Amino acid sequence: MIREPIQLRTRVILGIASVCLLLVAYGWLSHRQHRANPKDTTVPGLRQFVQGWGRLVHADAAGHVWIIEDARATYGRLLAGLVCGVALATLVGMAMGCFAAAEAFFHPPLSLLAKIPPTAMLAVYFVLVGTEMKMYVAMISLGIFPTLAQAIHQAAKKDVSDHAICKAYTLGASHFEAIWNVVFRQILPRILENVRLQVGPAMVFLIAAEWAVSDVGFGYRLRIQSRLLNMNVVYTYLVILAATGFAMDGALSYVRRKCCPWFGQ
Amino acid sequence: MHALDVQKVSHWFGANRVLWDVNLQVAAGQIVAMVGPSGCGKSTLLRAILGTHPPREGVILADGIRIDGPTRHVGIVYQDYALYDFLTARKNVAFGPMLDETNPAFRLFRFPAWRRLRRRHLAEATALLEKVGLERAADRYPSEMSGGMRQRVAIAQALVMRPKILLLDEPFGALDEATREELQLMILSLAEENRLARQAGGQPPHTILLVTHELNEALYVAERVIGLSQFHEDGARGATIVYDKASPVFRPDQAKDVEALHKQREELRAAVFDPENLKKHDRYVTFWKDHADKR
Repeated sequence: MIREPIQLRTRVILGIASVCLLLVAYGWLSHRQHRANPKDTTVPGLRQFVQGWGRLVHADAAGHVWIIEDARATYGRLLAGLVCGVALATLVGMAMGCFAAAEAFFHPPLSLLAKIPPTAMLAVYFVLVGTEMKMYVAMISLGIFPTLAQAIHQAAKKDVSDHAICKAYTLGASHFEAIWNVVFRQILPRILENVRLQVGPAMVFLIAAEWAVSDVGFGYRLRIQSRLLNMNVVYTYLVILAATGFAMDGALSYVRRKCCPWFGQ
Repeated sequence: MHALDVQKVSHWFGANRVLWDVNLQVAAGQIVAMVGPSGCGKSTLLRAILGTHPPREGVILADGIRIDGPTRHVGIVYQDYALYDFLTARKNVAFGPMLDETNPAFRLFRFPAWRRLRRRHLAEATALLEKVGLERAADRYPSEMSGGMRQRVAIAQALVMRPKILLLDEPFGALDEATREELQLMILSLAEENRLARQAGGQPPHTILLVTHELNEALYVAERVIGLSQFHEDGARGATIVYDKASPVFRPDQAKDVEALHKQREELRAAVFDPENLKKHDRYVTFWKDHADKR
């Protein structure tokens, strides 16, 4: 029957089965490719993966350890971009949700910006702020800003009733306290949920930018190694990126549960 | 000086005349119920008294202070509770004292003093929750409470501020009959506190204006009932107060005298809700005259 619940045990077994199926399919594909061409690198086997991991963790001819340099560059850019983007979006979204004048002022440009694919704006950032850290921060923060600001605007406007705000004034709140102690606290879980949703797009924008103009970072390494068909490195980096996404999602979910226990699951 | 003084208040939206020449004086310690037909402007008058929608004409004073915006002098309890979801019952009640007695700079830079004050606020909130029978739910969030419990928290949240006047906007409208009766008894216990304070020669602590569409509730809970209606001689100009009389006073432990309520309910129905009865509205507005005669 539609939406009939299943036992937790069944759910876990089905989840493990899907991952096993993926690994078996990959193993079969890799085996088939290597039977046809023993030197194939497009679907590497376990031995090729181990070789690739060795290249990642040992210094190359120039003395660079790829994994450390790439992780440092990419995570630094991602964190800076996310912090700036979330701060800007929270400020503008809250202002739009609380003040009609701010809503009237910011709504048209935000609607326009939200329709432009951020990766298409790469050339604009490149021209305006160069290729240094600033460009990546601009790419991520301005990439996630329109969607996040619109989500926060809607939350501030709809999740907090007029009655709750009016009552805060009757309890002696100032305008600042009504915004900070009532509106912000009420929508904090929504902000965290929306930041969670924006982690994926932020990584897409960053990898695209690194792919195009960087000389270090996961995006750069993926471009170079995919051209050389070193898929053992490429797949490893993809797994690292997926693990990063999972870790950030889990961390934000944990913060939401700790800071907003009232919000439920 | 009256706890609430509504002077010549009129309000309109474009060509739609809503309130016309509303005059209402509520003395400190009175518990007053306001009734009226749907759409007669009860909410408009309530919002004007609350200060969120000031009237086009007229003046509203709370204990002599002119109301031109929401203020801590006028408390409000809404039908939808409007509790803060992110605070437990205790913290919801302690929220008002925190906002009223401190500011963000104090809470941030004078942390030890703020902690001491916070302890006092929480103790005060706990005492009030005990008074409304919610001591065991003090650490629950609103989402974990029933409608009746939430409304008790909302009433405690408003009472902790000791407002000059407390507005109850159809507070029991969304509750089941049993819970509604429990909360009516709670209002009667507040009236009893007023009576005891008067007997002791003190200032009665609770002045309440209750808006309800239940005539029995209005007559049972309040000591004075006012009717706002457009069904009067000058109804085209807007609704005004067409009924203002004392109602039977009950104590929390006293049985409801249905007969006494029935007689006045019929009078109230004819005066306020009957569109055929376009009377001269001062005919039923006799509360202060009766009060003076009694003295």
